[in-house]
Amino acid sequence: MSVEKVKQNYSSREKDRIFEQEFLPHIGSMYNFAYRLTFDEDDAKDLVQETYLKAFRFLNSFQQGTNAKAWLFRILKNSFINDFRKKSKQPAKVDYQEVETFYNSEDVDVSMTTDLRVETVQHMIGDEVSNALNALAVDFRTVIILCDLEGFTYEEMSKILDIPIGTVRSRLHRARNLLKEKLQAYAKSMGYNK
Amino acid sequence: MATNLFNWIRQNLFGQISCQRCLELLELMTDGEASPEEEAQFQKHIDDCLPCYETYNLEQSIKEMIRTKLEKKKVPDDLINSIKQKIRNTA
Ligand SMILES: [Zn+2]
Repeated sequence: MSVEKVKQNYSSREKDRIFEQEFLPHIGSMYNFAYRLTFDEDDAKDLVQETYLKAFRFLNSFQQGTNAKAWLFRILKNSFINDFRKKSKQPAKVDYQEVETFYNSEDVDVSMTTDLRVETVQHMIGDEVSNALNALAVDFRTVIILCDLEGFTYEEMSKILDIPIGTVRSRLHRARNLLKEKLQAYAKSMGYNK
Repeated sequence: MATNLFNWIRQNLFGQISCQRCLELLELMTDGEASPEEEAQFQKHIDDCLPCYETYNLEQSIKEMIRTKLEKKKVPDDLINSIKQKIRNTA
C-alpha cells in the first residue's frame, strides 16, 4: 500500500480516536478472518491482538480517509504469513504456475463444466459451505473470503495481498472453480442433483 | 450449426458479444467490477442467452451463499480489553 510513503504525525488524542473509531469496529471481521486462516480460536485471538498492536504502533503510517479495514486486513495477512504459517502445518505455497497465466493468455479458458444447480446451492447449510471453503488451500480460501464475504474490491485485494489485480482475478477464478468442485462433490454424495 | 451461424450473425452484424466474451465478464459482473459499457454488453447478451443467464445466476447464488450462510464467530469477550491493556502497558 502506498501509505508508507506519507508519514503522519498524529497527536496521542488523535491516535486514540482513530484506534477507537476506525480500527476497533472491524474486530469482528478481523477475528473471523483470523479464525478462517488458523482454524484455532486461541491462534485467531493472538493473531488479531498482534495485528491491533502493530496497527497502533505504526499508526503514523495510516492515512486518514483511506480504507482502515483494508489496512488492518493487510497487517493481519502479513502477520499470519510471517508468524503463524511457520508454526502451523499448512503447506507453504500453492503452485500457481498454471493459474497465474490465466488472464495473460489470449485463449481464455472460461469453460465451467459444473452440474451444480442454483437450487442445490440455495439448499446448502452453513456447515456445508464452511467445509467446502475450509477444504481449499489457504491462498484460495483467502481470496474468496476477501471478495465474497468481506466485499473488498479487486484493487483493495491487490493491496492487501501484494499481488497485481490480474493475479487477484486469476486466483479468484481458480478458487471459485475449486469451490464449485467441492460443492458439487458434496451435493453428489448427498444425492442432490439427480 | 444453425446456432453457430446465428451467433456469427449476431456478433458480426449486430455487434453483440459472444458467449466466450460473456463468460469472461461474468465474474466482473458478479463482483461489481465491470465498466458501464461492459455491463450493458453483458446484460444485452444474457437477455437472449439462457445458458449464460443460468451460469450468471449460479455465480451470484454462490457469492450470496458465502456472504449469508457462513457462521460468524463471536469475538471473545476479553479480546478488546486485552488489546487496550497491552497498548496502555507499552505506551
Ligand atoms: Zn451466451
